[in-house]
Amino acid sequence: MTARRPDRTKGRFHAVFWDWCARGELRLQRCSHCHHITWPVAPVCDSCGRPDLVWERMTGRGTVVGWNRFDQDYFGGLLPLPYDTLLVELEERQLFITNPLGFTIDDVSPGMPVKVAFIAVEDSAGPFMLPVFERY
Amino acid sequence: MSGYEAVAMPPAERQFSRRASIVGIGETDYAADYQAARTRPAGWQPPTPERLLVTAFERALADSGLSRSDIDGVTCSFTYGGPSALDVARLLGTSPRFAEANGNIMAGPLPVACAAIAAGKADTVAMVFSVAPRNTGRVYGGTTFAVANADDPDAGGGAPVTYYAFNPWGWTSQAAHWALMFSHYQWAYGVGEEELFSVAHQVREHARAQPQAVMKTELTLEQYRASRYIVRPLRIFDICIVNDGAVCLIVRRADMAGDLRQVPVDVAGWGHAKIKQDKLHAMVRERLRPQISAAADQALAMAGLSLDDVGHFEGYDASSFHLVNQIEGVGFTEPGTGLAFCQDGQMTIGGRIPTNTAGGNLSGSYMQGWSQVAEAVRQLRHQAGRFQVPGLQVSMTNLAQTDQSHPLVLTRGERR
Repeated sequence: MTARRPDRTKGRFHAVFWDWCARGELRLQRCSHCHHITWPVAPVCDSCGRPDLVWERMTGRGTVVGWNRFDQDYFGGLLPLPYDTLLVELEERQLFITNPLGFTIDDVSPGMPVKVAFIAVEDSAGPFMLPVFERY
Repeated sequence: MSGYEAVAMPPAERQFSRRASIVGIGETDYAADYQAARTRPAGWQPPTPERLLVTAFERALADSGLSRSDIDGVTCSFTYGGPSALDVARLLGTSPRFAEANGNIMAGPLPVACAAIAAGKADTVAMVFSVAPRNTGRVYGGTTFAVANADDPDAGGGAPVTYYAFNPWGWTSQAAHWALMFSHYQWAYGVGEEELFSVAHQVREHARAQPQAVMKTELTLEQYRASRYIVRPLRIFDICIVNDGAVCLIVRRADMAGDLRQVPVDVAGWGHAKIKQDKLHAMVRERLRPQISAAADQALAMAGLSLDDVGHFEGYDASSFHLVNQIEGVGFTEPGTGLAFCQDGQMTIGGRIPTNTAGGNLSGSYMQGWSQVAEAVRQLRHQAGRFQVPGLQVSMTNLAQTDQSHPLVLTRGERR
């Protein structure tokens, strides 16, 4: 059985992000005017407000800059507790909230190198591929 | 947090400084109401926002010495909904010429009321705030308030709380914001997790001297160590309490405020700064320091004062760590030194900046910045009890959210 996850945010721009994940690619929106990356998904550039965003493929490599472990059940038992999250700075300098794969926050150190991997999960809308990070 | 509707802030200009004064404060019985909600004695009814705000108003009115007919303005601030301003005015037994909804958390409502008074819309405004998250079953975090088709206005989606996009990874809640900031801060400045105890402990020590504070038992390091985590590295004692209550502030034209029962407290300055982009970076890497600093500078410039003049601080301690962000952000101590600053006693009487002297949101009451203003007023009247700052003339309050900061500078006025 595929692991359940809390629901993705729906919407036509969000759908593009998850479609790329389904193909094993981590792509974020980069503005074709000011070259700023906007994340989370938005209809216009977070920096200059223009709508001309291009889905650029990230290298998938990054470093750990923060972490959390959730002991509080915020999702009605959907996720087994406790579970860990990471804050990764991608090589493109964008910060990205994710989960560790194959290690826990007990193993992390500042600047630890990680790379993206995709795991098969599902939410109420169906199966999808979730970008998580493993040691690199 | 886009879940809270913002009010349109009047500009932080000298022309608005000290045009209005706080002449009355009223709060509900936070501790007794919290206990009653837990023990549910016979005949107990859950509090409604209406009942709470009437109690706060009657107390503020009595505190001010004014009569009901003096109230010619009413504004109401509800975080999770409530009656209209006109209905509230009737409920209070007033017939104001000015009645408006006025935001919710203490991120703008007071400047709005001051600007209304300066514009001649009213002379004496009763500002009521009421929040009953316990009674209404409000849940913080998770998917409770998620909105479908969030990025597509044509589909009828409203503005969701921005962090819902992280739900598939399980990252949610206000607590997670402060926890993520602290995890990075620990690495950036080489501080240990337990050093945060000093902040939770200091605020609790202040609460212990306040009859109305919800949490008044001693907090020991052993209890802190044994307490459960919410979102690591933060424990339950690092996260604010949630309780029901109301606050009323009576604000009056400054030139009519000098001959009342209380020493007037002048609203001398305010400010506002919000991050414009890269929220995760501004929040985790900068801990909103540029915004907190810029907004505080605006408020001080409006008041014609400098940071050295400020002798008391009331920050928005949604988390113990977020209080550190504000102490450092305003500039009372250098970045990375906030925990040592607190351990050194600098955040209580005799230190550089006595902070959250009524127990804040961590131990006092979760009135979303309003009870901090009430405490600043008590301090400036020199009525704050055991943790009174001797001879205090200038206090600063600050409501910093995850993406913006709203400081106020309040000063002790003069009797005429």
